Amino acid sequence: MSIIKAEALRYKYPMQDELALDHLSFSIDKGEFIGIIGENGAGKSTLCQALNGLVPHFHKGAYGGTVTVAGKTVHETSVGELSTIVGMVFENPVVQITGAKLTVYEEIAFGLENLGLPRSTIIERVDEAIELLNLAEVRDKSPFALSGGQMQRVAIAGMIAMRPEIMIFDEPTSQLDPQGATEVFEAIETLSRNGVTVLVVSHQMERLARHADRIMLMHGGRLVAFDTPERLFAMDFSGISVRRPVYTEIVRTVQKAGGISAETVPVTLEGAAEWLVKHRG
Amino acid sequence: MSLYVDRPSVIHRLDPLTKLCYIAAAVTVPFICPVKSVALLVAAVTYILLAAGRVVTKVLPLLGFVAPVLLSIFIIQGMFMPDNHALVFRIGPLYFYKEGLSYAALLSLRVIGILGAFSLLVLTTKPSDLIQALMEKGLPPEIGYVLNAVLQIIPQMANALQRITDAQRARGLETDGRLLDRIKAFFPLIGPVVMNAFVETKDRAMALEVRAFNSKTKRTFLHVRKKHPADVALRIMCLAAIILAVVWRLVG
Repeated sequence: MSIIKAEALRYKYPMQDELALDHLSFSIDKGEFIGIIGENGAGKSTLCQALNGLVPHFHKGAYGGTVTVAGKTVHETSVGELSTIVGMVFENPVVQITGAKLTVYEEIAFGLENLGLPRSTIIERVDEAIELLNLAEVRDKSPFALSGGQMQRVAIAGMIAMRPEIMIFDEPTSQLDPQGATEVFEAIETLSRNGVTVLVVSHQMERLARHADRIMLMHGGRLVAFDTPERLFAMDFSGISVRRPVYTEIVRTVQKAGGISAETVPVTLEGAAEWLVKHRG
Repeated sequence: MSLYVDRPSVIHRLDPLTKLCYIAAAVTVPFICPVKSVALLVAAVTYILLAAGRVVTKVLPLLGFVAPVLLSIFIIQGMFMPDNHALVFRIGPLYFYKEGLSYAALLSLRVIGILGAFSLLVLTTKPSDLIQALMEKGLPPEIGYVLNAVLQIIPQMANALQRITDAQRARGLETDGRLLDRIKAFFPLIGPVVMNAFVETKDRAMALEVRAFNSKTKRTFLHVRKKHPADVALRIMCLAAIILAVVWRLVG
């Protein structure tokens, strides 16, 4: 069952000549894990913001087509209302800390207070989010006293507490060290296992390929391909500087040398090893 | 970044709005009743409350800071107030008069009392509790957020400034040395610092937006403000003090 549906979505930022999103049409099913890849400026972040209403409500500009999220038409629904359906975690963990709260616990409760939920519900949901994101040890600390990975987990917890059906992560690990990135991807995996529809923008192809059900490849505001990782990374990306998972590259090099063509390629370490063993000799 | 001092005291447990009522009384009463005894009484009550809140020592640096100002009031009023007649003492060519010194004492007591009253609020109240109390009474959430966030975001902005300064120094900018060199170094930093602040502000605004900050729903709060019987009594006393002062002024 489709939870996100875009039809001929077009968007142009004010003062820009080029379309940032150029006639995008796609649908995403409930519970899917979607990866979004592409070069810088491909329109990945703009697409994410078109799904939670920041485009066109926060970023004004020329907007066309329709996006429906859980049955609501995005351009006819306020960001506040959409925030209970679509959660979003941004690249920079520091700016996602509101600065208005003294502890991690209060920080996570911020969105729930804005939604006007009863105090008992706020406590119940914050406790759940803290447990899910493994933040019990830092619950009474200042959010600004945390590491980047912990801050990002607090940002995720703040969104999760609002119980969105969809979570969008816009390069959530690009400013984190490897440990922080691992913490965040583990949190995303947990959400996905709990049935949340997840969209992740990332350049970490190995991680995306391992977890994603399908991957979107964007270029110049257009959707170039939208398929399973095994099929998408087997395609020819000429003219688009997107790297494949390193395991896929090894297999493709061997395939080229052996004159083998295939519609799918392995995208994980285990898959590549299995393929190499199978084609040994 | 806050002046709040966490101590287990009855003053800390008072509602922030009660402390605001006390400030209103402590500021207005000594002005309505322009006599030293009233100003002294208000200041004395204020410092007793500060002592009850176990924060009186925290006010001393503030008093030390205003002491030169108060001293200058004594010198100027004591020597030059137009109503000066009764000489009290002289130091060489400097003559000090009773009327001027008395007026300076009144002004000083008012200043000391006002400083103490505001310190009572600031030192014994978490800023977030005060702002929550005001928001519950109708303060717009946008203003509440700014008041709350400014205390924590300013240090973050200072960190950003330091990062940008370090980056520019790594590229050869001289930020140390003579005053002129430092002033020259300041200008190349303005652009990146301002741009960084704009970008962060926009990003933070988006982050707030997705957390329903602009929701039209009536907000609720995680923390419940506990009101004590003492709060009601104190608010009535503050109001009564102001009314009595007005009556005293009108009758007297």
